Amino acid sequence: MIIDIALHEWRRLRAGMMFWVLLAFGQLIIAWLAFAQLEAFAKISPQLKAGALSLGVTDLVVVPTLNTLVLILLLSAPLLAMGSLAGEIHSGRISLWLSSPVRGSQIVLGKILGLWLASLPLVISAILTLAALGLGIDLDWPRFLLAAVGLLLLSLWLGSIALFVSGLFDHPAAALAASYGVLLFLWLLDTFGGSDAPWYWLALLPHVKPWFQGLLRSQDIVFFVATGGAAALLGIYSIARKRGEV
Amino acid sequence: MKPVLLAQQISYGNAERPRLKDFDLQLQPGDRLGLLGINGAGKSTLMQVLAGILTPTKGEVEILGQRLDRAGPALRRHIGFLPQRIPVYPELTVSENLTWAGRLRGLKGQALGEAIETVLQQVQLSEFSARLAGRLSAGMAQRLGLAQAIVHRPKILILDEPTAGLDPLQTEQIRELLAGLETETSVILATHLLDDVQQLCNRVILLDAGRKKAEHAVTPDIDLLTHFRQQAGAATLGAAS
Repeated sequence: MIIDIALHEWRRLRAGMMFWVLLAFGQLIIAWLAFAQLEAFAKISPQLKAGALSLGVTDLVVVPTLNTLVLILLLSAPLLAMGSLAGEIHSGRISLWLSSPVRGSQIVLGKILGLWLASLPLVISAILTLAALGLGIDLDWPRFLLAAVGLLLLSLWLGSIALFVSGLFDHPAAALAASYGVLLFLWLLDTFGGSDAPWYWLALLPHVKPWFQGLLRSQDIVFFVATGGAAALLGIYSIARKRGEV
Repeated sequence: MKPVLLAQQISYGNAERPRLKDFDLQLQPGDRLGLLGINGAGKSTLMQVLAGILTPTKGEVEILGQRLDRAGPALRRHIGFLPQRIPVYPELTVSENLTWAGRLRGLKGQALGEAIETVLQQVQLSEFSARLAGRLSAGMAQRLGLAQAIVHRPKILILDEPTAGLDPLQTEQIRELLAGLETETSVILATHLLDDVQQLCNRVILLDAGRKKAEHAVTPDIDLLTHFRQQAGAATLGAAS
């Protein structure tokens, strides 16, 4: 049933305008940025060689583009997820779900997977755009692949957070505003107080950047699994509350 | 005969302002029960409790002898529910909406395809199966909502004001559809309209402030308005008249 719900969510999003606008806009930005970075790299490449610097195309083209992709994903996840639960409540369709023989856990996990499916075209198209550089230039492939896997995990995590926030509201616009608030807070958290601050562990970027540097750290995986899992559990709890089960 | 639905002493809401209070209900196979009451009488809350959307704060609901709150979600497969606001996805087609409603209630593969074909013919939407649900007229959308509620052939069908907001012709179409339902399907119909009850139901309950005010069998010669005015007071039936 989880797969059925995921495919339905994906079909619902694909039938709307928002998904296509985000995909087109995101792909346009990524493509433009990748080629702009490449052009800049080509200009300074002789100087890099002369200076015997170890910076390559992965550092100067791929990583900056992927950083922008993270921002695009952060902006697009709440837009995709705002209708997932808040939209169902606002439209009255939640009664279709709550009166059905489907568990709250199936609804939440299915919808998170559906949101992830909807974010995949943008992530994959961006990765393929950058991977195409490898046809003519030496890429650091292990580092590139780690960054790609990290982005896939990040998009799943974003779906989980945005869906949880969506379940707290009965209007999609309120869910959108709250999701942006939560994600912006996590995005900027590391800038307050530095790495010694007790809340530094909750900041998003210190857990994303290591992937782009080729570092696979258990603490980053724990962060995404723990916070994403907690958001999914809270989403399941909110469905149970709506049914009056708790 | 064993009831398909049994509600015992169900209440919902807080003690100061209960939305439903000590309500008893027994539904036999094939029963057609009408629920009458003014706005705020508790009809929609009762419908949602019986459909398993809300869990009663007191009392219990049994479907086919099993408690709805304890048997697990699978028991909801026997219920079809049409709320006041039709639960359709406007961006999906009629056929896609029905496919999803069927899947949600456990239908798959060939059985799902056949069920959709049958129900589309039943609600006379076969030729509109590829049309977006958002582009249907009010009457057609209501027929789609009804199709979603019956696509899995439930034993209990719960309808919350299915003719509200429809013109007389569309109302008549919905009534014809409901009258043509399988005889073993038990129906609970909440409405403001005495005509709905008179034409479709064999029993009627009058709700007021979350309580059962009166209950009566519906016969062709009964004047429901006069009857309930005598039993329950004119104010209670004001909107229904």
